[in-house]
Amino acid sequence: MIRFEQVGKRYPNGHVGLHELSFRVRRGEFLFVTGHSGAGKSTLLRLLLAMERPTTGKLLLAGQDLGQISTAQIPFLRRQIGVVFQNHQLLFDRTVFNNVALPLQILGLSKTEVVKRVDSALERVALSDKAELYPGDLSTGQQQRVGIARAIVHRPALLLADEPTGNLDPRLAAEIMGVFEDINRLGTSVLIASHDLALIARMRHRMLTLQRGRLIGDGEAGV
Amino acid sequence: MSATRSPKVSERVAPKVSDPAPQKKKKRDDDDGPSFGELFNAWIEAHRSSLLDSLRRLGKQPIGSFFTCLVMAIALSLPMGLSLLLSNVERLGGSWQRAAQISLYLQLDASPSEGEGLVRQIKEMGGVAEAEYISRDEALNEFQKQSGLGEALKELPENPLPGVVLVTPLEVDKAALEALRTRLAELPKVQQAQLDLVWVERLAAILKLGDRFVFGLTVLLVAALLLVIGNTIRLHIENRRTEIEVIKLVGGTDSYVRRPFLYMGALYGLGAGVLSWGVLAFGLDWLNEAVVRLAGLYGSNFALAGVPVSDGLSLLLGAVLLGYIGAWIAVARHLRELAPR
Repeated sequence: MIRFEQVGKRYPNGHVGLHELSFRVRRGEFLFVTGHSGAGKSTLLRLLLAMERPTTGKLLLAGQDLGQISTAQIPFLRRQIGVVFQNHQLLFDRTVFNNVALPLQILGLSKTEVVKRVDSALERVALSDKAELYPGDLSTGQQQRVGIARAIVHRPALLLADEPTGNLDPRLAAEIMGVFEDINRLGTSVLIASHDLALIARMRHRMLTLQRGRLIGDGEAGV
Repeated sequence: MSATRSPKVSERVAPKVSDPAPQKKKKRDDDDGPSFGELFNAWIEAHRSSLLDSLRRLGKQPIGSFFTCLVMAIALSLPMGLSLLLSNVERLGGSWQRAAQISLYLQLDASPSEGEGLVRQIKEMGGVAEAEYISRDEALNEFQKQSGLGEALKELPENPLPGVVLVTPLEVDKAALEALRTRLAELPKVQQAQLDLVWVERLAAILKLGDRFVFGLTVLLVAALLLVIGNTIRLHIENRRTEIEVIKLVGGTDSYVRRPFLYMGALYGLGAGVLSWGVLAFGLDWLNEAVVRLAGLYGSNFALAGVPVSDGLSLLLGAVLLGYIGAWIAVARHLRELAPR
């Protein structure tokens, strides 16, 4: 699914985000990327979303070389990916339904199909009764679940999450992680960047540890 | 980019299991992907949503939207209004044919019946729209009235004025007029054929100058319009930066991001076009009162023509196109900056 081959990222100001990173992620795998602030977690996610390009090495996602991908192809690549942000990135002038429907409207699906899939995604995150509300009417945990529903509604092959539990209390964080595991069980690869080691340890999935842009650990969390 | 309201709960109920048609459709959706019809309907729906979303956003700021349209309308009205005034000046100057009339002065011994015969002969010639005979007596009467020398002219032993045939050409082309004048001069009983092109040339030069002025003004104001619409759309883009970034992150293409702004530009143009049409119609009507009074003093029944429907529709179409192009330029300029951060 994902292949990093000696991938490096150096910014124009000389800062090195990633140092010759190499690892693979299988289809349907669940893994965490952890490390302190500035370790390179966000850079790694930005490379996977084609928001930035690697300066060295080769990064393959579902067979596509992200170092060579054209600007016009990027939207189509992103349609295979679901993204969950720490700050949710919801549109507050749209209802929950319309927030979740956004990726499907972009795909140009019919109204019937949009309704069917949004209902299904909201049901999966237990927010079926909130469809007509606006994000501002919801709690932080509920807003995060709307973000997750939007990330999975178009059935992506890969789900990326950047500190998805950063603003949540431990009970809500565990609940959100449970949702990610449910999604993973349906065959979606899940990659979560987080520095919440206690939470990661409880989940016993593969964990990549980054430090100053270098991969210093690759193994099962909690072992 | 659309903000389609979610369907009502009743519309969002899944198809009944017992309903065979939806079941069949559902199977096809899952197995073969959407049909062409479904994709086409979705495309139409996406455009409808973008249009409604743009209308809703303009409606949310009615005063701001109105003033943007008004500024554009004024910019559109100036060249269009001048152009309409020039058309009216052309009418005021009389027809070009009349301005280019050829006067045939007949020999003094030409009788009225010979003059009438000459008119019939001339009317059958190519390139002639009309011919009119003015007898020697009629010419003298007219001269007496216009010159104010009535009593003095009565003292003359005989009428010194010749009979005249006024020939109105079909077209106003210098070479063609000259050729017609030469042919007419060769007719029997014609003493002199006179063509006064100076007036035609002067009027043509004035109108050409006016046309150039209008063209230059149009170019300048079109550029100003593009800047106005571009700046307005840029502000809309800034206000929706987060939304655009999210759309791009979830796979929205540049054309998807661009679409609602293009509709917005076209809507601004449409509003400006309608306002401009109204401003011109009102302005010409207002001017017309004074023009009719002035023309009446000269014994003319001249009146300004309003905005022809064809010109009004062209104005609307042009305004919509300008809005669309202005929005396109603005979005194209800013799209690169809208990459998600």
